[in-house]
Amino acid sequence: MSGAKILLVDDEEVFARNMARLLSNRGYQVEAVNSGDEAVRALEGGVFDVLVLDLKMPGMDGLTTLQEIKKLGLFIETLILTGHGSIDSALEAMKLGAYDYLTKPCEIGELVKKIKKALGQEDAGDPLSDTTCL
Amino acid sequence: MRHEKLTISEPNPNRADTRPMKLKNRNQTTASDAEPGPNHRVYYKRLFRRFVSLTIVCSLLPLLVVGWVINIHYTRFARERMISAFHNEVDHHRKIIELFLKEQSAKLQLIARTHALSDLVSQANLSRIFDLMNQEGWSITDLGVIGSDGSHLAYVGPYDLIDKNYSQTLWFQKVMKDDLYISDMFMGFRKEPHFIIAVTGSRNGDKWILRATVDTEAFRSLVENVQIGQTGEVYLLNEEGVYQTASRFGGKIMEKADFSPTGIHEGIHTKIVGPQKQGDRETPRQVVGLAWLEEPRWLLVVKQDFSETFNEVNHANRAMLLFLHVSAASILLVSVLVSRHMISVIKKRDMEVEHLNRQLIQTSKLASIGQLSAGVAHEINNPLAIILTERQILLDAYQNEPNLPEGFRDQLLPSLDQIDIQIQRCKQITTNLLRFSRRTESVIETVDLNRFVMEVVELMEREARSSGIKFFVDLDENLPPLMSDPSQLQQVFLNLLTNAIDAHHGKPYGSVTIATSVNREGPAEAPGIWLKIADTGCGISPENLDKIFDPFFTTKPVGKGTGLGLSICLSIIKRLGGEILVESKPHRGTEFRIFLPQRPPAELLRQMNETPKLRPIT
Repeated sequence: MSGAKILLVDDEEVFARNMARLLSNRGYQVEAVNSGDEAVRALEGGVFDVLVLDLKMPGMDGLTTLQEIKKLGLFIETLILTGHGSIDSALEAMKLGAYDYLTKPCEIGELVKKIKKALGQEDAGDPLSDTTCL
Repeated sequence: MRHEKLTISEPNPNRADTRPMKLKNRNQTTASDAEPGPNHRVYYKRLFRRFVSLTIVCSLLPLLVVGWVINIHYTRFARERMISAFHNEVDHHRKIIELFLKEQSAKLQLIARTHALSDLVSQANLSRIFDLMNQEGWSITDLGVIGSDGSHLAYVGPYDLIDKNYSQTLWFQKVMKDDLYISDMFMGFRKEPHFIIAVTGSRNGDKWILRATVDTEAFRSLVENVQIGQTGEVYLLNEEGVYQTASRFGGKIMEKADFSPTGIHEGIHTKIVGPQKQGDRETPRQVVGLAWLEEPRWLLVVKQDFSETFNEVNHANRAMLLFLHVSAASILLVSVLVSRHMISVIKKRDMEVEHLNRQLIQTSKLASIGQLSAGVAHEINNPLAIILTERQILLDAYQNEPNLPEGFRDQLLPSLDQIDIQIQRCKQITTNLLRFSRRTESVIETVDLNRFVMEVVELMEREARSSGIKFFVDLDENLPPLMSDPSQLQQVFLNLLTNAIDAHHGKPYGSVTIATSVNREGPAEAPGIWLKIADTGCGISPENLDKIFDPFFTTKPVGKGTGLGLSICLSIIKRLGGEILVESKPHRGTEFRIFLPQRPPAELLRQMNETPKLRPIT
């Protein structure tokens, strides 16, 4: 379809792999990494349209990764995808410039919708109206 | 209606719970507020007994001891006074009798010494002397002059004694020897009890006798009529114990008394005798005074019943003892009443403390379970997310592969659907857990509770109708607008309504009453409103009543309820500064009453200001 490039960061390898496969089934070019470090390196090495970021990760967590990216001056639309029920950290992420957030588990359709919104491909309406899927 | 919209998250699950519930309506909150058990009753009884015995030991006993000691001392003192008064009376009486006898003797001696025998033997002269002697009061019956041979020389009196000779009588011999003689009572020639006073006169060495008979009646009245009170008696005994005057009770004159005097003594002896049997008469305890006359040697006996002598003392005694015991009884009564009151106050306090403790336990239980649930929910969400992606991959693969065997095809889709359904169910549980641990955002805004109630009721009405349940809504028109969190209130309201409907399970019909009212006499001094939800369902058994707010406690079948509904309600309501009361009768129904303050607690608002607000993205 659009062929937009997506960087997927999640410490759960199986989840990251599955998500990458589902997104590529839907026509996106996906690169899946398992830590914040890898994500920063990938961003430095190539151009991505959307970053899908997990918050709770060992080592460098989602928020730190986001700050690091900002420090490096790399601008990218970011979607927070977290299994953590805490809204606090999601809010914190949005303060740091994230576009929107979703909570796990979430339908692939929801994620695709948010990605499209982030890419400006679809009229988004109120981004807060559907923060949680299911 | 949205004047103010704030979004917060709850940073500390413990904090809202540290505020204790108000206690005014505590007897309806839960079964934990029931009367204390039998152990408590024993405890309070023991406490009551301890209070009362303390009062007895500290005030009653000293009072009684002091009272009794004073009483004993007073009685002893008063008795001594009474005895000494009695003593004086006896002494006085003795003196009167002695004076009488002395007076008569002196008169006779005077006559004998101042008159010549020749003057006295003249009948006319003797009659004149006799009249003069009786002038001041009848005291002498007769008067005679007796020669040394013992024959009457002259006689004035009612008896015919002129030719009697006394030379052989005892008194004649005695008076001839001693010159003055007062006889004991004797019968003599006249055969009547009498006694005489005889004196001698002399002329040229020749002795003659002037003899007077004392009027028995006059003497007796002098002695006996001086009676003391109702029970007193006075009489005279001679040395042999023969009555010289009649005793008031029993002893006749000249009779031998059953009491014989022992030894002559000076002064007055007072003793307390009895009670004793005297013939066929029971004599009570008596006070007896004994005094010997000087001449003749007669014993004056004065008796009075003990009870009469000490009447006044005894009366005062009784009054004092009565007063003492009435005081003691009233102290006891007051102590019992005060103790009872104190026990009831203590009992009330204890119940309040117990209630608070239970709440504290409930609160900490909620808090720790809340933390645990948040962790569990998070850990479960991750694998759930993976399962969901796997399902999606399967679904993608299925859609891309048209050449699957028919049977596999038919089985795959329902299975994937079922996986989805079960994931949804898990997600529902984790959402509830997270909501319970209050890791969801709060929005405080103005709520018109009546309109809010109507919206939720309309939402639920269809489901209720299908279960045969009718909603009755009774809304207070004058309800003030409320500052609260509508989405959390909706959660509470939906949970309670769902429970109310589920409580009718197995019943063909029923009703749920929803009412709102302004807080008039509520548990909080803060203004607020009451929301009542009452059903006619199966009720809650007393043993379950204090568990219903426990997380994971449910009576619903497996898979139907998570046991978190009421825990969520309780934590939400507490967080909003309100409280939730429940009353239930098994098989009759359950009533939940929720108090909501008009404004949320300051603590909640402060927390909201500290946390970042959600940035609306346009």
